[in-house]
Amino acid sequence: MRLEFKQRLDQLEASLQEQGELCLRAVRGAVTALEAQDAELCDEVIAFDDEIDMRYHRIEKLIEETLALETPVASDLRLVLAVLHASIHLERIGDQSVTIAKLTKLTADLETHHDLVEGLREMGDRCEEMVKVALDSFAERDIERAHGLVELDELVDRTNRRVTDKVLEMGSSPGLQEWGMRMIVVARCIERIGDNAVDIGEQTEYLVTGEFHEFSDASH
Amino acid sequence: MTQKMDEQTPDTEAPLPETHARTNADAPSIDSSRIAEISVGTTKDELAKREKVFHVEDLAVSYSGNVALRNVSLDVYKNTVTAFIGPSGCGKSTFIRCFNRMNDLIIGADVSGTVDYHGNDLYARGVDPVEVRRRIGMVFQKPNPFPKSIYDNVAFGPRALGMKDNLDDRVERCLRRAALWEEVENRLKDSALGLSGGQQQRLCIARALATEPDVILMDEPASALDPIATAAIEDLMHELKRDYTIIVVTHNMQQAARVADMTAFFSVEVHDDGKGRNGILVEYDATTKIFTQPGDKRTEDYVTGRFG
Repeated sequence: MRLEFKQRLDQLEASLQEQGELCLRAVRGAVTALEAQDAELCDEVIAFDDEIDMRYHRIEKLIEETLALETPVASDLRLVLAVLHASIHLERIGDQSVTIAKLTKLTADLETHHDLVEGLREMGDRCEEMVKVALDSFAERDIERAHGLVELDELVDRTNRRVTDKVLEMGSSPGLQEWGMRMIVVARCIERIGDNAVDIGEQTEYLVTGEFHEFSDASH
Repeated sequence: MTQKMDEQTPDTEAPLPETHARTNADAPSIDSSRIAEISVGTTKDELAKREKVFHVEDLAVSYSGNVALRNVSLDVYKNTVTAFIGPSGCGKSTFIRCFNRMNDLIIGADVSGTVDYHGNDLYARGVDPVEVRRRIGMVFQKPNPFPKSIYDNVAFGPRALGMKDNLDDRVERCLRRAALWEEVENRLKDSALGLSGGQQQRLCIARALATEPDVILMDEPASALDPIATAAIEDLMHELKRDYTIIVVTHNMQQAARVADMTAFFSVEVHDDGKGRNGILVEYDATTKIFTQPGDKRTEDYVTGRFG
């Protein structure tokens, strides 16, 4: 029944997963470029964001149409809304990757600190994993796995704090200081990617249960 | 750097270092052609590239001198579903009856203007209305099977037109196309009146298909049906438009939204004297446009439920 509608919903989910796949590449590219100080790769990550944005706008358009033409209700309505939210979070992940790439370019000539780069890469790897978990648990409607994102996010947050501490401990050479300050912003961007993954996890729970609540309360 | 990130290049020299290739090996590959297929907002311009099945120009219909509908011009495109929506009295049913000359059967009805069907004037002298109705079949609001067997209902048109070869095959084919075959294959000799309303309506569609039409007109085909039977008819319309061109009149706006590629909104025009009124075509566009960004305030008011 309502085969056309079901196809539309399938299309929506497939588009979301595709957008997610592109975001994973952007994150990977940004972190790799940071580690390797690869300006060309940075440019590529920056340009690549248009691809992600395009997917987002397409999903948004498709959802506008679906709401206007198919009047989805109940779990169908939740799916449409959850995809829209998740897609916005993915779009943000793309933006964070761009900021990381831009800051990497900006600091290309500065002295770097090996341990700190190592910490950022670790954060990046963890966040990449989190985005994967978020996308998979959404596709599988796996609430338990989605909740697991909170623990992963804790680890990222912890590393983020370590990065900040390390910057504060760093030497007083002006070049290193500037680099360190920029890297705090980079760490913040990576940390936000983790948060966006958790946000997608929350959408999974909403999709399955119809109840939305934040997995972890940022104000505590 | 010439290579793009969206190309799958794990085996070749990749601009993205190994991590890219490594982590990508187990990731689903992205086929961008598939993404491009996503049907967002088919526009009127895109649909208008298709062959025109009907070209209507300045059509007016009056009954015994009273104008029911006037100044209607639009094209109907091949293999689309075109919906006519609008409030009661807007002339949408009057209009759909112009496409197979059903108004000929109403005493005092007068049709002026042009209705071209594949470039031929439907109302030209010498055009046989029976042949018109063979090519342009019709399904009505209330299922109206003949008080005959299921088989004979479908076979009725072909027999009357002398299309008697392989009649069994034809009946089966039409019942299959109307998504009814599996429900009736063991009771073809039973009376059609024993079927449920939804089944009867699909039987009427099968009956319309039996004379090999090119166009199917549906006047409120689901308004007498429950939601499940309605959904079956709507699925059927999606399926049938691959081979036919469908025009549907519906009171149910959401039905138009669900099934139609193009939607025409008709409204009632009240004359200055406050007495006379007639239907007019307000807006005709891709259904997506009509339901997301209608161009006319009257359409917006109607689709959002702000009537009158």
